[in-house]
Amino acid sequence: MTLKSLPKLVLILGSLPFAAACGGGSEAPKPAEAPAAAPLAAPASGSGSITGTIAFDGAVPAAEKVKLTADPKCAAMHKDGLERQPIHVKDGGLRDVLVYVKSGASGAYSAPAEDVVLDQRGCDYTPHMLAMVAGQKLKIRNSDDTLHNIHPRPQLNTEFNVGQPRQGMESEKSFDKPEMLIPVGCDVHPWMRAFISVLANPFFAVTGEDGRFEIKGLPDGEYEIEAVHGKLGKDKAVSGNVTVKGGEAATLDLTLKG
Amino acid sequence: MSANSGAESRPQPSGPSRSSSPAYRPWRHRLALVTLGATLCLIFAGGLVTSTGSGLAVPDWPLSYGMLMPPMVGGIFYEHGHRMVATGVGFLTLLLAVWTAIDEPRRGVRRLAWAGLAAVVAQGVLGGLTVLYLLPPPVSVAHACLAQTFFCITIALAYAMSREWLWASAPRADVADVRGAALSATGFVWFQLFVGAVMRHMGAGLAIPDFPLAFGRVIPVFENAAISVHFVHRLGALIVLAFVVRLWLAAHRSSEPLFKGPSNLALGLTLGQIALGATSVLTAKAVTPTTLHVATGAALLGTCWFVALRAIRLARPTRLAAHGRPVAGAHGVA
Repeated sequence: MTLKSLPKLVLILGSLPFAAACGGGSEAPKPAEAPAAAPLAAPASGSGSITGTIAFDGAVPAAEKVKLTADPKCAAMHKDGLERQPIHVKDGGLRDVLVYVKSGASGAYSAPAEDVVLDQRGCDYTPHMLAMVAGQKLKIRNSDDTLHNIHPRPQLNTEFNVGQPRQGMESEKSFDKPEMLIPVGCDVHPWMRAFISVLANPFFAVTGEDGRFEIKGLPDGEYEIEAVHGKLGKDKAVSGNVTVKGGEAATLDLTLKG
Repeated sequence: MSANSGAESRPQPSGPSRSSSPAYRPWRHRLALVTLGATLCLIFAGGLVTSTGSGLAVPDWPLSYGMLMPPMVGGIFYEHGHRMVATGVGFLTLLLAVWTAIDEPRRGVRRLAWAGLAAVVAQGVLGGLTVLYLLPPPVSVAHACLAQTFFCITIALAYAMSREWLWASAPRADVADVRGAALSATGFVWFQLFVGAVMRHMGAGLAIPDFPLAFGRVIPVFENAAISVHFVHRLGALIVLAFVVRLWLAAHRSSEPLFKGPSNLALGLTLGQIALGATSVLTAKAVTPTTLHVATGAALLGTCWFVALRAIRLARPTRLAAHGRPVAGAHGVA
């Protein structure tokens, strides 16, 4: 870049207020839209399933010690301290990975009637990776004897910021559009972080302690399965193809690289 | 910054007797100085809110979690603390405006005090809107810029109520150059603070992560608006330095000694401000240098503005003296 680029700079400076009005610069990451189901086809379901393990290949970073002194009530809940380990690996399996049908599921799926719950317990979120169908109700609960605010920062859905000053409070929200990895945080306790993914169909699972998952209720067909982890981000998502036949269980193992 | 320091430590200007000027009201002047100081503290507290990412730690407004006084934990300490300081400044400004309206013979000063009150109310509303609408950058930037403007109003009020302003008499020589340099420095510092606010509120503070180079180059590739805004802010720092050096030279060439101290302060603040900006980048926006960067920017603006006001006053004090009573609207505030 030479001085010749200065006129371009001046032009960009001129558009500064407009750029700000649009909520930031073009460096903002493009929102990740979850794959939408074909809107007119009838939804299908079956008895097939996909099981497997998501492994992690890479160095596991050391757990971060959280400074809880900002809120004595949080400190009292964790007398031995609190550690954050967003890359949680056990026996090679990675926890909190969203595994979902990226393509192959046809039909428009309505939101399940049951709520999904995001709990604030011990000044932490449970779960850290939450997945739901677009339009499904999200119940946000404060199980702590301290106040929290719940502040998701979606790109496609509507952002909100709700305070829950008392223990036992619940709020109901929903997200209408499929969107992957919406970061959720508490601005009172900055260490609290979780991700919500909103999907177009109910064929997904989140890996458990050992990295294992099971996606149930699949009709026969060929599917592209993607695995994505909140900390590693969408860029490091991996996918694979699998066929479900005769309502039986198919197997797919994937590896996420650090 | 004390508007009186120069006047008190040096021989009083010759000219009209004190009785021909509006009476000096020491307690009202002190209130104006306290408001000025509290406003600088408020700007620091506001900087802390952004630096700690606590802008939305209290999701409601004007109450905080439905309370007047929520538990001061985590991010609430910064956000609600900012609201508390702002409330204090609001009350000080209200008191100053009412007192000035009752006690001040100069219409311009009375109007300026009401303008200050209007600005502080508007500032509170902008602060509320930015919370309720989840920190939209235009509102947050307007909130930041109005804060600096209000700070300048408090400086003008405090100076207009000072003995130096009230008792200035014969016009001084060598003032015009300083006045021009101070006014242009004030204008550009304000613009630089605007660019800084845009950068801050669009999250571009680390868009160029290295210093003094930018991605290892003198001029980076302007891939996006964030890099462009960040680079303009760096470029602006050099231009501010040039303006302040010009002010410093004008002040030291002038035979009037009252300009030397504040111009030294302006130069020191500018150099410190550049160092703080660099530290903010190199520490990945650590809270302390980033917040001090905001407050020092305000102090620099205020210093340049004070020099400009002093030069304006010392250049044309005679309208007041010639009539033996204050002239409404003269010199902006007298």
